[in-house]
Amino acid sequence: MPEEVQRWSTPPATVITGATGWLGSALIEHLLASERKGLRALLRDGEDASRLEERGVEVVKGDISDKRSVVRLFDGIPSGADVIHTAGVIHPKSLSEFTKVNANGTRYIVEVAQSASIRRMVHVSSNSPFGTNPVESETFRNQEPYNPYLGYGASKMQGELAVLDGVDAGLDAVIVRPPWFYGPYQPARQTTFFTMVRTGKFPMFGGGTQRRSMVYVENLIQGVIAAELTIGVSGRGYWIADERPYEVREIVETVRRALTDEGYEVTGKPRSLPVIIANIAEAADRTLQRLGQYQQQVHVLGEMGHTIACEISAAKAELGYEPEFELYGGMRRSIAWCREQGIEL
Amino acid sequence: MNLSKDAFGAGDHIEVEVLIIGSGAGGSPTAALLAEAGFDVLIVEEGEWYDQGSIKPFSLDQMEKQYRSGGVTVALGRPSIAYTEGRCAGGGTEVNSGLYKRPPHSMLTKWRDGYQIQNLELDDIDDIADEIERDLSVSYVPGESTLASQALARGATSLGWQNGEIPRWMSYPERGDALSGKRQSMTETYLPRAINAGAILSTGVRVERLEMTDATAGAAVVERRDGKAGRISFRHVFVCCGAIHTPALLQRSGIKGNIGKSLAVHPTVKLSAKFSEEINVDNDVPVHQVTEFFPHSSFGGSASQAGLLALALNDNWRAFRGQITDWRRMSVYYAAITSEGRGRVISVPGMRDPVVTYRLTKNDRTLLAISLGRLALAMLAAGAEAVYPSFRGAPVVRRPADVARLEAGFSATKASVMSVHLCSTVPMGEDPRLCGADSFGRVHGTTNVRVNDASLLPSAPGVNPQATVMALVVRNVRRFIEENVHA
Repeated sequence: MPEEVQRWSTPPATVITGATGWLGSALIEHLLASERKGLRALLRDGEDASRLEERGVEVVKGDISDKRSVVRLFDGIPSGADVIHTAGVIHPKSLSEFTKVNANGTRYIVEVAQSASIRRMVHVSSNSPFGTNPVESETFRNQEPYNPYLGYGASKMQGELAVLDGVDAGLDAVIVRPPWFYGPYQPARQTTFFTMVRTGKFPMFGGGTQRRSMVYVENLIQGVIAAELTIGVSGRGYWIADERPYEVREIVETVRRALTDEGYEVTGKPRSLPVIIANIAEAADRTLQRLGQYQQQVHVLGEMGHTIACEISAAKAELGYEPEFELYGGMRRSIAWCREQGIEL
Repeated sequence: MNLSKDAFGAGDHIEVEVLIIGSGAGGSPTAALLAEAGFDVLIVEEGEWYDQGSIKPFSLDQMEKQYRSGGVTVALGRPSIAYTEGRCAGGGTEVNSGLYKRPPHSMLTKWRDGYQIQNLELDDIDDIADEIERDLSVSYVPGESTLASQALARGATSLGWQNGEIPRWMSYPERGDALSGKRQSMTETYLPRAINAGAILSTGVRVERLEMTDATAGAAVVERRDGKAGRISFRHVFVCCGAIHTPALLQRSGIKGNIGKSLAVHPTVKLSAKFSEEINVDNDVPVHQVTEFFPHSSFGGSASQAGLLALALNDNWRAFRGQITDWRRMSVYYAAITSEGRGRVISVPGMRDPVVTYRLTKNDRTLLAISLGRLALAMLAAGAEAVYPSFRGAPVVRRPADVARLEAGFSATKASVMSVHLCSTVPMGEDPRLCGADSFGRVHGTTNVRVNDASLLPSAPGVNPQATVMALVVRNVRRFIEENVHA
């Protein structure tokens, strides 16, 4: 770790939103494994609290888009606690969820965290407030102008702005920006991704030369905790990703190799489609979103024609972040996890 | 001191060994090296001679006198791209920002391999660059650079973006300051050298066409200042009229091939930034550039006197015009991109100037938007209280969130896209599908017509091009001297 990076010790309590999500689940497992005490998690009504409660996690039921729930979440929390805000909607049922959860929910967390004398808030944002790279061979620098990609990007930008307003008002907060994740606790859509790659049905465009930054979830957790504990970086935002961006064709080939090496049968051949199809999908996505609708397949297809690549030098220098896993190793662990869970790929 | 003279005198026909058409960054070094090697050289220049320093730099008076068409020429397309060309003894070197960037090795290698340029050695080019730097007294400003220049550096540095001062071909008096430099343009350097070695410079002479017999040019048909016609016979001719007028002249002379089909420019968009302190510099440009995004884009400062500031605010004049009263606290900055698009130069019979077209690609438009956004972010990081982007309907940018509105609202067709770097209309190299001239500038399909100016660059270099142009020009003319030992 660079010498100038100084860390706090762990806090008396840690509030976690999005505790049942992909990152949230993996994060809580990691914190429990490292014997972090005083975990408090927000779960929605109807979600099963027993699994977390059995392991000593205090569960508060509520909805992040309801400020009273957020107030309850922080009720009685000791001062000097940290909050790690991972909750977010990426593929909503209706577009209004973006604003409710990603923008308003974040604003509530900021406001309540401030009055609860929180030590540090970590806000998990995204690449989406910054759009896509203007040139395939270019990489986003740590600080870039906002240029949100559609509704999700706009709502995540609003979330970041809420955090920065909080910082201006005296809150200590750091923004973490992960690109596309992979790894344990993956949701169903990632299972689809593996299945499509395994059967040669994952669509690559124009030869798959677009570049994508990805982050293995354990790398991301390391970055999130570094952002939580590093002293003197309030107000900063950081890309947290694997060491380097990958070309889409490299991602597809690597996943197929990892599947083979994990004993799965890999069929078909990776196909490359004309970029125009991605462009059409993107145009369709824009039109749908203008009409207030969201269609996951169309959205993902439209985004696949773009490069979304970022560089992590600032996180390394200022947070002491050092990604441990790269694509092949991370993918093998992801596949092995799926098998342990009995998920069919 | 005006070193030009009327080469025709009372007659209307001249015979020379080597005719050089144009006296800018291409023609002047060509003339100096040939004259010093003992060749009999005549340089003809369409514009007039103005002593360096006799006209206020970046002024409207300068545009009137030293630029073609008063500084307003346009490449047609959506959007149309305004461009400027010098038209005077010394050409663009008399009026440009004077920023010196060595030819980037990455670009030279790409050109050598992509266009099959023979004997393009990086070491040779570096040696030539050393010489040029001495000849033009390339230097950094003494003491502090201007506040407008410092602002750009400060903003970029605080974002972690690479930036630096670009040296210029300027000479400074002892104990001078940033504004005391004298531009080491062609009228100060290579033109006097050429004339001392016996070359003749004749201004006010426009070449209509070259007379071709099969593949060989024998004479130039010209129009003189007073409207009289003239004729200049030669053994060799170097066409150095810049990337627009070189291909236009070749086309008017009936020369076919890859001539004028691949115009490359650095499309540029602008913004004005307002600070709490007075930063405006009336007669100079900032010397710092943001190089972080090379080769895709670069940012720098523009001439910002009140008239030019008004031009920068003009795209959204109804909303922005009130700002002009604060011009002392404002400065104009630009974002230039390396474009995928290409343009054409087409000479039209009966028209004095060629038609120029340029097409931006979809990626170019996106890159322009993001580059303008990045530049705005740098200005905010530098402490600007407000940023006024130069496009129709642009928002005032005061906070990072406004940059998102800038990028969402930007479209190239709403902006005044312009360029001062024009090149690549007669690309050099041996690849017959791409090149208009051979590896040393001889026009393919001719025996004695050579191009030696920015037209030869295979693509826009991603940096201020004058140093690259001059280095290639010196390389080419040395090769010519080796091959044509003077009788």
